[in-house]
Amino acid sequence: MEKMKIMLVDDEERFLATTKKLLAKKGFDILTATSGSEALDILGTEKVHVVILDIKMPGMNGLETLRQIKKLYPIVEVIMLTGHATGETAVEVLKAGAIDYLMKPVDIDDLVQKAEEASEKRQRLEAKIRKGIKNHGTEAF
Amino acid sequence: MEQKHFKVIRKKILLNMILAPVIPFILILGIGYYYFVTSLETNAIASMKRISEDHREMIESFLTERKSDLEFIAGSYTFQELSRPKALAEVFNRLQEKSDAFTDLGIFNDAGLHVAYHGPYRLTGKIYKDTQWFQEVIKHGYYISDVFLGYRKVPHFVIAVAHEEEGNKWVIRSTIDTFRFNNLVRKVHIGKTGEAYLLNAEGMLQTERHSGGNLMDKPLDRIQYPESHRSTKSFIDKDANGVKYLYATTWMKDKKWLLVIRQEKADAFEALTSAAYLIILIAIIGGSVIVTVAFYLTNGIVERMTQMDAEKDQLGQQLIRASRLAEIGEMSTGFAHEINNPLQIMKSEQSLIEIFISELKEKGQLNQSETLVELEDSLDQIGLQINRCAKITQSILKFGRQSEPVAVDVDFKQFIPEVTAMVAKKASVNGISLKENVSEDTPLIHLDPGQLQQVLLNLFNNAIDAIIERHGSSGGKLIVESGPKENGKVEITVKDNGQGISPENLKKIFSPFFTTKPVGKGTGLGLSVCYGIVDSMGGIMDVSSEKGIGTTFTITLPAASPNPLIL
Repeated sequence: MEKMKIMLVDDEERFLATTKKLLAKKGFDILTATSGSEALDILGTEKVHVVILDIKMPGMNGLETLRQIKKLYPIVEVIMLTGHATGETAVEVLKAGAIDYLMKPVDIDDLVQKAEEASEKRQRLEAKIRKGIKNHGTEAF
Repeated sequence: MEQKHFKVIRKKILLNMILAPVIPFILILGIGYYYFVTSLETNAIASMKRISEDHREMIESFLTERKSDLEFIAGSYTFQELSRPKALAEVFNRLQEKSDAFTDLGIFNDAGLHVAYHGPYRLTGKIYKDTQWFQEVIKHGYYISDVFLGYRKVPHFVIAVAHEEEGNKWVIRSTIDTFRFNNLVRKVHIGKTGEAYLLNAEGMLQTERHSGGNLMDKPLDRIQYPESHRSTKSFIDKDANGVKYLYATTWMKDKKWLLVIRQEKADAFEALTSAAYLIILIAIIGGSVIVTVAFYLTNGIVERMTQMDAEKDQLGQQLIRASRLAEIGEMSTGFAHEINNPLQIMKSEQSLIEIFISELKEKGQLNQSETLVELEDSLDQIGLQINRCAKITQSILKFGRQSEPVAVDVDFKQFIPEVTAMVAKKASVNGISLKENVSEDTPLIHLDPGQLQQVLLNLFNNAIDAIIERHGSSGGKLIVESGPKENGKVEITVKDNGQGISPENLKKIFSPFFTTKPVGKGTGLGLSVCYGIVDSMGGIMDVSSEKGIGTTFTITLPAASPNPLIL
């Protein structure tokens, strides 16, 4: 099975660096982006499985970035990091297509667990799509 | 200052309330009285004038009749016939049959000699040539005298008529009974004090007067005279004794006699006096009714104003408290949010260090030593403190958060025992007697039971802490009560006999981050969260406390509507 590729998006560079190291130690392939637009650029070139996205960022904020990602790359799973989990934000985030949300400060183990769950979901989805295409294909051709 | 303000308002309202009705009231009474007085006076004077004129007519006709009587005799008999005493006596008797006012009858020749006389006196032979009456009668043909003494030394008056017979003038004269004339003049009925009398041109009484004054006396009263012969003069003046009289005067007998009709003013205007008393009585009663009502209404208004002012103050304070809480809430959530980012980095760094250390240990690059143990302990402590910070920021965020409550109808008879059961163990361990008293008629309340449970548990825990602080492990009391209040409200009170709260702390009790608990024991958010929850339920949370006696928290909530709409 291929290494899970996770992209961290946050405006705190130190957070990115340290978390990258930590997740790398857990055996993940890690990419980082300091803004929403950078994250979208990277998604255009790299195959990323899971995006961990901070909700509060300067420029394009987390929610907008999430919507863009879901629009352009619907298969990519996104986990949101929020400063505070109000009911409305949670609902909004989930509506916009995030698989889950975590509250800062997040424990690295929780983060890993959520990332794995997201990855599993993505794999199931990919498998389903592949099967669907295959079935579709036999019918079409 | 406030008190003074209300005193001024009270005075103003009271003044207006009294003056507004009193002014028209007094005006109406005054105008009514004025017109009543005017019409009464006009009437009294008019009737007085009428009486005086009627009376004059009567007296004049009496005199005229007597004069005619004498003229008739003079025309019927000759001087010779009447000069005989016997014949004169016969004529006199016939005259008396007609009118008993005549007391005597005399005949005079043109030289003034009393030729014949019939009457109680001996006057025959006396000569009257130089007396005024004789000269007048010769000159004018008749004469009616004033009351005078004459030769008889008794007040009397005479009527004399002259007759011409074959160029010779003779005179017939008769004395009028002053007693009878008196009665005639005095016979006038006006009220209790009404009287009539005659004055001659010198102001001498010609008839007796009821109110005192003999014939020929000269009363000292000031009299006003009518301008012309047939007119009547009316006026009001004091008599010699200072009693006010209403007068009517009219001339008689060619301005020789003045008929005076008078009545004491108080008598004439008696109705006026009783009307005045009645008006004064009405004014007093009406005035006191107005004043009483004004006082009553003003008190009501001022009381209501004071109450409203107090309510406004209270509302203002609540508003200030609520807005301050909202401000602090907003500020602290922002603050918590910002703190979370550095906390996240610290947490990540701490995890990374832990991983590095375990890696180094695995590789054998780090020897087991006391320093390493301490280092690991220190690292754990950092992790612990980060988690503590995280907890604080999370409770701050919870305070600021507006979660959607799920309201259902809650029955306190069931709900409150459930909540108290949660702290029953903790209470009994600390020797606290826990009593609950939920009134049977407590209405249902429509709210989120989870939220109310959070509020009550918070209050219970605070109460238990306060009790332990004061009593240790025995003697504590915690009472939860609930029951209906007026206006469809329900009240829950949580009362403890703990250490109590000082007045200055009581003011800040619902402020976020305010705590008297030792560091790490409380965030100071519990009560402010409770306050926020109760507020969002449309309720009011209040506290009263006395240091060393205990604290009572009171929550007032609106009851569920009795007939909820069934959807």
